[in-house]
Amino acid sequence: MKHSLQPRSIAFRLIVAVLAVELLSAVLVVALSFGFERHIHFRAFDVMLHGRADSILGAVQDADDPGDNVMLDQADLHIPPEDIYEVWDAGGHLLGRSSNLKDAANWQGAGPGAPTHPFGDIAKPTINGRHYRVLRIQGTRTVDPGEKGGGKPRQVTIVYGSPTYHVWRAIRGAVEFYAAGSIVLLLVSGPLIAWLLHRGLLPLRQLAALAAQVSVDSWQFSPPASAHTTPELAPLTLALESVLQRLERSFLQQRAFVSDAAHELKTAVAVLKSSLQLLSMKPRSAKEYQAGLERCLADSQRLEALVADMLALARAESSTSASEPPPAANLVECIHQTVTRLETFATLRNVQVIVPLPDSSPKVLFERTLADASALKGHGFGRAGNHPDEDTALAAEGMQAGEDALPSGLKPNATSSASGGGAEAVPFQNRDSLRLENLHIPLVPEDCALLLSNLLLNALQHSPPASTVEINLKKDSQAAVLVIRDQGDGIPAEALPHVFDRFYRGDPSRTRNTGGTGLGLAIAQAIAQKAGGSISIDSQPDPALPNQGTIVTVRLPIAE
Amino acid sequence: MRVLLVEDEVRLADNLATALRDGPGFAVDWAEDGLAGDDFARTPCYDLIVLDLMLPKLDGLSLLKRLRDRRDATPVLILTAKDGAASIIELLNAGADDYLAKPFDLGELLARAKALIRRGKGAAHPTFTVLGLTVNTLEQSVQRNGVFIDLSPTEYRILEYLVHRPRVIVSKRELLEHLYDYNWEHHSNVIEVHVSNLRKKLDATQPEADPLIETMRGRGYRLAPVPPPEAESSQTHKSTPEPGL
Repeated sequence: MKHSLQPRSIAFRLIVAVLAVELLSAVLVVALSFGFERHIHFRAFDVMLHGRADSILGAVQDADDPGDNVMLDQADLHIPPEDIYEVWDAGGHLLGRSSNLKDAANWQGAGPGAPTHPFGDIAKPTINGRHYRVLRIQGTRTVDPGEKGGGKPRQVTIVYGSPTYHVWRAIRGAVEFYAAGSIVLLLVSGPLIAWLLHRGLLPLRQLAALAAQVSVDSWQFSPPASAHTTPELAPLTLALESVLQRLERSFLQQRAFVSDAAHELKTAVAVLKSSLQLLSMKPRSAKEYQAGLERCLADSQRLEALVADMLALARAESSTSASEPPPAANLVECIHQTVTRLETFATLRNVQVIVPLPDSSPKVLFERTLADASALKGHGFGRAGNHPDEDTALAAEGMQAGEDALPSGLKPNATSSASGGGAEAVPFQNRDSLRLENLHIPLVPEDCALLLSNLLLNALQHSPPASTVEINLKKDSQAAVLVIRDQGDGIPAEALPHVFDRFYRGDPSRTRNTGGTGLGLAIAQAIAQKAGGSISIDSQPDPALPNQGTIVTVRLPIAE
Repeated sequence: MRVLLVEDEVRLADNLATALRDGPGFAVDWAEDGLAGDDFARTPCYDLIVLDLMLPKLDGLSLLKRLRDRRDATPVLILTAKDGAASIIELLNAGADDYLAKPFDLGELLARAKALIRRGKGAAHPTFTVLGLTVNTLEQSVQRNGVFIDLSPTEYRILEYLVHRPRVIVSKRELLEHLYDYNWEHHSNVIEVHVSNLRKKLDATQPEADPLIETMRGRGYRLAPVPPPEAESSQTHKSTPEPGL
């Protein structure tokens, strides 16, 4: 039973399929040849019967009696002994019959009244246990042709039959020949196909052997040029190549991450260890010990933060099991919590965080009006010129709404400074369904908070004193769009592609001073991607225009 | 002795610099990235370079190769977090003299640093004996004919440097370069004062003997002037086989 469950090889299936087709065609050939041979043979047979019946007609002679009758002269007839015949005259008198018919009681000899056929009439009686084919023809014999008037014509009916077994034997012989030939063909073509398939599939096996040589130590996969040009192999080869390339890339990334992580961990441990050993190098005063212990504590806290970040990253990258109910976090609540949590840090760095978002109490949103107003301004500055028509159409409405719906708590400078990034990043679609306070994203609240705090922390760390960080939340048709904008020095163009790399530090000395682990943005990206969203960072540092800052745009799908 | 420390991790660099200063009493300059380290290393003042491998701007291996391409023979001690024989072989073949894998033992680092400096100056043993003067670089103790001499840290460092280069004229500038880090205001008369004090302390035990440190006017100082041919204890660099060490 086990054997029957195993899938057969393609070659086996192909061979079986080809043999089945061959068998089918062999059966067809046999059937057709049977029909054809039968037709040919019986046609010839009928001709022969006709000839013989004619020779019987020849034997009908003028009887030597006054009644101008005819008679059958059987003495000169040379016909096969198995054949049968009867000759009737027009009057229904039997002129003669073959000797082997005399005792045939079942012979329903065709009487003179039976219908005629131009060529003859055919019957297939069984006489004495033999199958016969019987032909009946009408003939005319002229009595006394020498007399005046051309003699007297006498109608005779000749019934002539011959057994058919030798015809059937000939047909069977022919059919048997075809059948035997087909079987021989089948027997020969089976192994031949197998051999040809084996040869034909050689490139496939070569490809498999090449692919089998690929390992984590050697990613070299160089298929022969024929693999690319063979139509059957090309898709497989291309797929293999691209899969291997992606695998290699992610494997190398993973290896680089492990190596980097090991480096960071070892360095952190080295710091802690050296701090302790430095402390114990010589006897010290209680004050020195205390200072040393505090340093050691700080070192171990850094180690702890590093481990926590690495675990957070691992957790963010692991996929959630499908059995859990889909998570949902209130984005606005999350933002408020994160801002509250980082308030002290922001105050310490003398950075103002502006969150033009609704409170928890549901009310008419001013966010939309803010966005519209900023779109106006953006258009005015020539920066948000992507949809000039739309912007112009929105102008009146936005102006009006901006006037009457700005909340009292909103700082005036928030409106002006929100003009650039926010307006650029968010298309104004679906503006009627903006009820942000009920906006939920498919993340557990802890992840949502981690995502936001990492981004906000990053913005705060790169903000100069007495500057602002703005958080804007909008909603377009499918996604929540969160924009965080700082007024720092921005990110140099060469560092921009690497900001999400793990352990990447744009400016090592500065980030080290602020205690970053180099994982914050990587974690944020992993969380956003886990939710099915994305993060993009935009920055155009310009020495002539400092404090242009960095714009982080997070798009998150909205939970059902 | 002056050490260049190239390490981007501030806290680790801080600890290492403190240990190198407090322990063997080296002058330490710190560079926090590879390019700065390369700039520092171009001045021929260093007796040892402690080099981290993963550095911003210019990695340690490239820095090492640049160094060796310039025919700079300064001993290099590599700090690496990388495991594996392959990377260690590559490092040593690129011209590194020694390596330590993170996290390392601070005592081991100091011992290796001292050994590398010693080796870099052609000495095999940490104890030097010149003309009856014995300098133990591990204990940082100085004896002359069995009598311990108490020296200030700077005096000891001057003597330690001179004892590594016996019978060579060492200029004041060289002493300044190798004994003080960049943060020090360079005043050559500081050296004169310290050398004068050092000479007094060394010769106090044997006032009748020739001075151990010779002043070559305008050129510098020389430890252990060329001895008369019959003086058999004048072999330079002779290391005493002390069983306790």
